[in-house]
Amino acid sequence: MATWFAYLEGSLDTSTAPETEKAMRPLYECEGKDIIFDCTGLTYISSAGLRIFLDVLKTAEGKGEHVYIKNVTDAVRTIFTITGFSNIFEFK
Amino acid sequence: MVKLDPHGEELLRQFRELRPTLEQLEKDAYSLMHDALRKQGIYVTAIEHRVKTEKSLAGKLELKGAKYKTIDDVTDLVGIRVITFYTDEVDKVAVIAKNLFDIDWKESVDKRKLHQLDSFGYNSLHYICRLKEGGPRFELQMRTALQHVWSTIEHDTGYKGDVKIPREYVRQFNRLAGMMELIDDEFSRLRLAITDYRRQTLALVKDGRLDDVLLSRDSFRDYLELQPFDRLNKRIASVNQAEIYPVSLMPYLRVLESFGMETLGDVQRFIDDNSDDAYHLALSWLAITDLDILSSSTALQYLCLVHVLKQNGGQKGLNDFYDTINGENDSNYMLASMMLKQAETLPFMQKTKDED
Repeated sequence: MATWFAYLEGSLDTSTAPETEKAMRPLYECEGKDIIFDCTGLTYISSAGLRIFLDVLKTAEGKGEHVYIKNVTDAVRTIFTITGFSNIFEFK
Repeated sequence: MVKLDPHGEELLRQFRELRPTLEQLEKDAYSLMHDALRKQGIYVTAIEHRVKTEKSLAGKLELKGAKYKTIDDVTDLVGIRVITFYTDEVDKVAVIAKNLFDIDWKESVDKRKLHQLDSFGYNSLHYICRLKEGGPRFELQMRTALQHVWSTIEHDTGYKGDVKIPREYVRQFNRLAGMMELIDDEFSRLRLAITDYRRQTLALVKDGRLDDVLLSRDSFRDYLELQPFDRLNKRIASVNQAEIYPVSLMPYLRVLESFGMETLGDVQRFIDDNSDDAYHLALSWLAITDLDILSSSTALQYLCLVHVLKQNGGQKGLNDFYDTINGENDSNYMLASMMLKQAETLPFMQKTKDED
């Protein structure tokens, strides 16, 4: 299975979300590919960022593909958890 | 190499001429049956369809060509086979076929009823049909998946071939056929029992008699239809005017079972007893953020956390909870510590300590 990587860094918030969403668009054509978000450099994620992750997940799952989140910081992982999204993504 | 007499050759010529009509008939009959089954909500294993090959027809004509005056007398030039999951569905498909097609009752046969009392066989229901608007006849076979397996194996072993099979093998075949029939009936009975159980469970859930309903995958799914976590989710969402994003709550069934809950009544009490504290724990996290999207499992997650802490589960209990819901992961320890630290600032934890 081929894999696509998306590297995120800095703060994914309302101001950076539109550009990030645009950069993520190719991921919607993910037939036959797993997606890995490498979050090593991601320092913060807001609701706008969560929505981008959820859109990619929904599209990928619709095509039978997997989305993994890798190297996430404690701060970002906490946001996924307190909003109840911790168990719908596969954290590596 | 097949050798046909002049009559057989003539029938084969008629077949070639008729072939385009037969191909159209195959498509039409299949579509009618496929659409009707879908409309009735009957899911089948397969609908097979074919026009007889010239080779197969020639073989048949060589053996018994004299039986047919014209090619119209051969009733299986087009064949449709509906393979169902359950025995009672064979009868349902038969009723649908009666409405869809004109049935030639003289030629149709229920092979399921042909067997003598002292023998078993495992065959299907065959109808010879014609489209309502006329045209050539075709054969419709209806059988269960197990009947299909039986027929295929029977054909493969040459059980009905020219060589006489020794009595001991015939007996073995009959024993297996009897067993297959029994299994088919048992599957139908089991499905009926499960459907009844589901119906009863749903009625009990709707009547609010939750202590009478055992916690299971089916009952939990029915219970979720009542949206038992909706009120708490909305209360938590109101903190930041958040959108509630729907996710499946079924993964939490394992958590509730691990808490020792046995009935839906236990789950309802778990909600009633912990909702206020779960709200305050969620509030303590969310009020200092502007996060305005929450999953629909948020309420249930905080209920579980509060339950663990009230049962004195502490760090280990929270860690076990996250292991169950997230899968074992290095971050779970960090999440458990962080939740414990936050909860320790809330009144319900003080109360729990005092009670100890």
